Amino acid sequence: MEKKNQENSQSKVLAFLGSDTFKGLLPFIGLVVIVVVMNILTEGKILTAKRLRLLLSQVYYPMIVATGVFFIMTLGSIDFTEGSTLGVASIVVSWLSFYSIPLAIVGGILTGAAIGALNGFFHVKFKLQSFIVTICTMYLFRGVCAYLTTETAIPASNTIKALDQDWLKITITVCVLLVAFFLFKFTRIGNDVKAVGSGETAARFSGVRTDMVKFLAFVCAGGLTGLAAFVNVIKVGSITSTAGNQLETQILISLVLGGLPITGGAKVRFSNIVVGTLMYTVLNNGLVMMGFESATQQLIKGIIFLIFVALTIDRKALKVIK
Amino acid sequence: MEKNILLRAEHIDKKFGITHAVNNVSLTIAAGEIRGLIGENGSGKSTFSQMLCGIYTIGGGTFTLDGKELHIRNQVEANNAGVSIIVQEMGTLSGLTVAENIFLGHEDPFVHHGIKDSRKMNQEAQRLLNEYGFTSIQASKMIDQYNFEDRKLIEIVKATYMKPKILIVDETTTALSQNGRLELYKIMDQVRADGRSVIFISHDLGEVLEHTDSVTILRDGEYIDTVQTKDVTEDDLKRLMVGREIGSAYYRTDYGTPISDEVVLKVDSVTVPGQIYNISFELHRGEILGFGGLSECGMHEVGKAVFGASWDRTGSVTLKDGTAINSIPTAIKHSVAYASKDRDNESIIINESIRNNVVLPSLDDLATNYVLSKKKLDSFANEHATRMQTKMQNVHQFISDLSGGNKQKVVLARWLGKGSDILVLDSPTRGIDVKVKQAIYALMGELKAEGKSIIMISEEIPELLGMSDRILIMKDGSINGEFMRRQDLTEEDLIAKMV
Amino acid sequence: MTKQLEKLKSSKYYGFMMLGAMVLFFYAVFKILTPGNFGSPANLYAYLQSSIIYSVGGCGLYFIVVMGLFDFAVGSNIVLSSIVGVILSKKFGYIGFVVGCLGCGTLIGILIGFLYNRLNVPSMIVTVGLMLIFESLAVFVAAGSKQTLDENLRFFSGAPGNIILAALAFLFMYFILNYTKIGTYCNAIGSNEFTAKNMGIDVKKYKLIGFALLHFFVGIMAILTVSYGTTMTALTGMSTMSRNFQPLMGTFFGVAFRKYGTPITAIIIGEFIISIIFNGFVALGAPTTIQNVVTGGALLVIVALTARGGKGSVVK
Repeated sequence: MEKKNQENSQSKVLAFLGSDTFKGLLPFIGLVVIVVVMNILTEGKILTAKRLRLLLSQVYYPMIVATGVFFIMTLGSIDFTEGSTLGVASIVVSWLSFYSIPLAIVGGILTGAAIGALNGFFHVKFKLQSFIVTICTMYLFRGVCAYLTTETAIPASNTIKALDQDWLKITITVCVLLVAFFLFKFTRIGNDVKAVGSGETAARFSGVRTDMVKFLAFVCAGGLTGLAAFVNVIKVGSITSTAGNQLETQILISLVLGGLPITGGAKVRFSNIVVGTLMYTVLNNGLVMMGFESATQQLIKGIIFLIFVALTIDRKALKVIK
Repeated sequence: MEKNILLRAEHIDKKFGITHAVNNVSLTIAAGEIRGLIGENGSGKSTFSQMLCGIYTIGGGTFTLDGKELHIRNQVEANNAGVSIIVQEMGTLSGLTVAENIFLGHEDPFVHHGIKDSRKMNQEAQRLLNEYGFTSIQASKMIDQYNFEDRKLIEIVKATYMKPKILIVDETTTALSQNGRLELYKIMDQVRADGRSVIFISHDLGEVLEHTDSVTILRDGEYIDTVQTKDVTEDDLKRLMVGREIGSAYYRTDYGTPISDEVVLKVDSVTVPGQIYNISFELHRGEILGFGGLSECGMHEVGKAVFGASWDRTGSVTLKDGTAINSIPTAIKHSVAYASKDRDNESIIINESIRNNVVLPSLDDLATNYVLSKKKLDSFANEHATRMQTKMQNVHQFISDLSGGNKQKVVLARWLGKGSDILVLDSPTRGIDVKVKQAIYALMGELKAEGKSIIMISEEIPELLGMSDRILIMKDGSINGEFMRRQDLTEEDLIAKMV
Repeated sequence: MTKQLEKLKSSKYYGFMMLGAMVLFFYAVFKILTPGNFGSPANLYAYLQSSIIYSVGGCGLYFIVVMGLFDFAVGSNIVLSSIVGVILSKKFGYIGFVVGCLGCGTLIGILIGFLYNRLNVPSMIVTVGLMLIFESLAVFVAAGSKQTLDENLRFFSGAPGNIILAALAFLFMYFILNYTKIGTYCNAIGSNEFTAKNMGIDVKKYKLIGFALLHFFVGIMAILTVSYGTTMTALTGMSTMSRNFQPLMGTFFGVAFRKYGTPITAIIIGEFIISIIFNGFVALGAPTTIQNVVTGGALLVIVALTARGGKGSVVK
């Protein structure tokens, strides 16, 4: 009898672990656990004011980029171009920063949006899988970035470097999050994007302009990456060929850590962006502070990434797993 | 006259959700017999035969072939046990050569110590193709280079070369030209001459009468009768297929009510290549227009074409006010609604909540200055889902948890909420239990009374007879007959125009 | 006349003709633009030698891509396997080198296939995660230092060694495709996984075999790569990602020309074409940094022409 009870409670625990509630809570639990663990392992050093400021300074532009990618991943698509877009857009921002700051901002956004439009066009028009398209364009724009910085790094004007103030970066980031949150929650954009992610054919038959939605998601994500490029230039001051290297993996891992199912659709939450980016940054800093070399850090990140994907993925949404 | 019994099916049963596709069917087939298997759409004949050949798992009961009970998990095991099938749809795989397709799953005779002898395989495949008289097909070529009919012929070879004890031919002839049919009949006769048996499934009763020894009739998943072909006429078979008393209780009972002259939708020479050709008709205000025919007759595509969802459509679909419908958003904006036959893929967004499914087409109407209010969406979804008496916990429940009938209610709630005036309902009661059916029929009556127009595409003849003001019957992509609502209209009248 | 044309179009030779025409076209374009420093026979031979390395990887990827799967861990495995090979070569000479590269390559392939089957997650995602892991493993194995292949062990660094090894790889591929069930089954799984399962094909097993085969070829690629470059440095930070693309381009050629029954030839010639284009740009005076632009652009055009989805198909 007792054994049966035990089995019963065991199966209840198992059922809970597989439930959507748990999957929804997992990122928050993860964030708390990671902060606590890192705090213990670094003997409290991670929660000092100085460290926190440093942490925050690493959050701004990934969070802006992640906001755009969030929409793409809600569609069930994927984007690998953030890093190279950031690189190219940063170069444009640096060039234009000698003329006028507003022009530099607009130029950065337009550059990003144009790259996003190119991605979206090939993805939608030729019905190519988004990851193939964005891998090609990532490669292409990495090349452009390398080409433009072949001789020397590209410097930005002193005016733009003078803008390196926390309040400005916080304002931009918060504004982006608020606007995106509003669009996602309170306009039909959020509904359309989720509908395409959950069932594209049915969404089309319900009047959603699926191709347009997909195209615009890529344009917006590109535009936001362009804006993030502005924040990036403020911080770094001059652009080398490695600008934005690896950003796409960082964003992908962040969002997955934040609990975003790789399949997209109805089960995404806006909080995925914030929780995920914070978690990644804490994890990253903690690993650095604990004195791990970069290879070990990457090993740990890779393993955590795989575990989170396997736990959060919505297998029901995939008929055949390719 | 007493022949050896080759196949014995006992109490075969299969359920898909609430649909009882095959209900306790028992039959025997003698060696050297060609057995026709007939019934309306959804009578269970395909499900029955697909269980026999391992495509579906057996729901209940046993098949005994040549005294041995069959335990089959897939088609290859079925082949090895002596059962093979030529299916309705495309059964060959692209990206493989003709020979690879023919021997897929049966490569072992050509593999020695792990090495596959492709040349021998090609030679053997070519020998078989030549033996069957299909000399124009080359075994070593990619199957993608052959058209649908040639691929069907290749499938015939694939299914029959190993001399199965039972060969199932599942509505294959519709895909074949006269020549191909003759080839197939020859093969069937050959099987019979060898003392083996054929199960021949076809809608073409003339063909069934001409080429079978006996015929088994299924209806609504149940075994009705087996008759000797020489003793019956086409009319006898039709009577047996239909047979039932039409359950008139839940259909409309009015006859002779005049239909408004007002045309709300005009379809003019609409063609979708490969699907429908030169379709023209008019839909009147307050009319229920039925579309009937065999599954593959193109009627389902008509629904999509009207809704602006077809690819490569030519011709025009215009509303009363002259609006041309060429895309789905235009259709929805101008009050046209569509419920697909493929409910889980095309109608509902399966991994979404009921609320988000209901509100999706109405989002623009519900927004004030582009801003949506959660409260408004919830109450809107709640109102319409409740009006349809959807069984649910609340509107935030995921739609994937609901039964087929309740899913369909959500679909209808969506379009009621949108206030559409023209509803295209493709197979609205497919896979739905009687109670929900009744509710849907009642709703259609109400909508009609409100002056809304309905195009009802259905594979169920009683439903067409019971609900439509006018019925268009399609055959091979074109309209083949038109019937006005009449009390004395019979299922046979409609079937005659379908086949 | 049209019938003859149809017949011609469906024949093996039509595929060859199209590939040949593409080679001639690009050759002619660059030869006209820069007659001096492009396209001498010696040059062409050099282009071929650099392209066959990628062709080998392209052959391996073919098994995975026809099944509709994907693998981003190819690059990281090239690095890891070549480092393992070089380290073993220090003790066991050629045997250590070859066995190290091939063995490590294949084992990694089996691991990927196993995890893919086990985790039930799209292959693209699994391999992104594993790429991160393999990159760091390579750093550990190399102990952070640059690994140099001993001068006595450089048979595969140039002709005829590299050509012989690549030719053996192509023959092996030809053998697998035409003389075993694997090629057929991979195609069948790619065409329709449900039907394939119904025909009694053990889908999971053949996906595992696909990954193992791919990474066996990656092992060969590792031998050729480290011999050609003589050193290999393990780097983290997704730096191996770029190594995935050149083999992939050949694979897309192979898949596109599959219907003519000549995938291997198409992979080899396809890589050769890319090599001509790249070297043509270099001859025009473009800096080598333009290489990524050319590769990315070319790959995009190739997939746009060959891999596009049908009308109404759902593409994520």
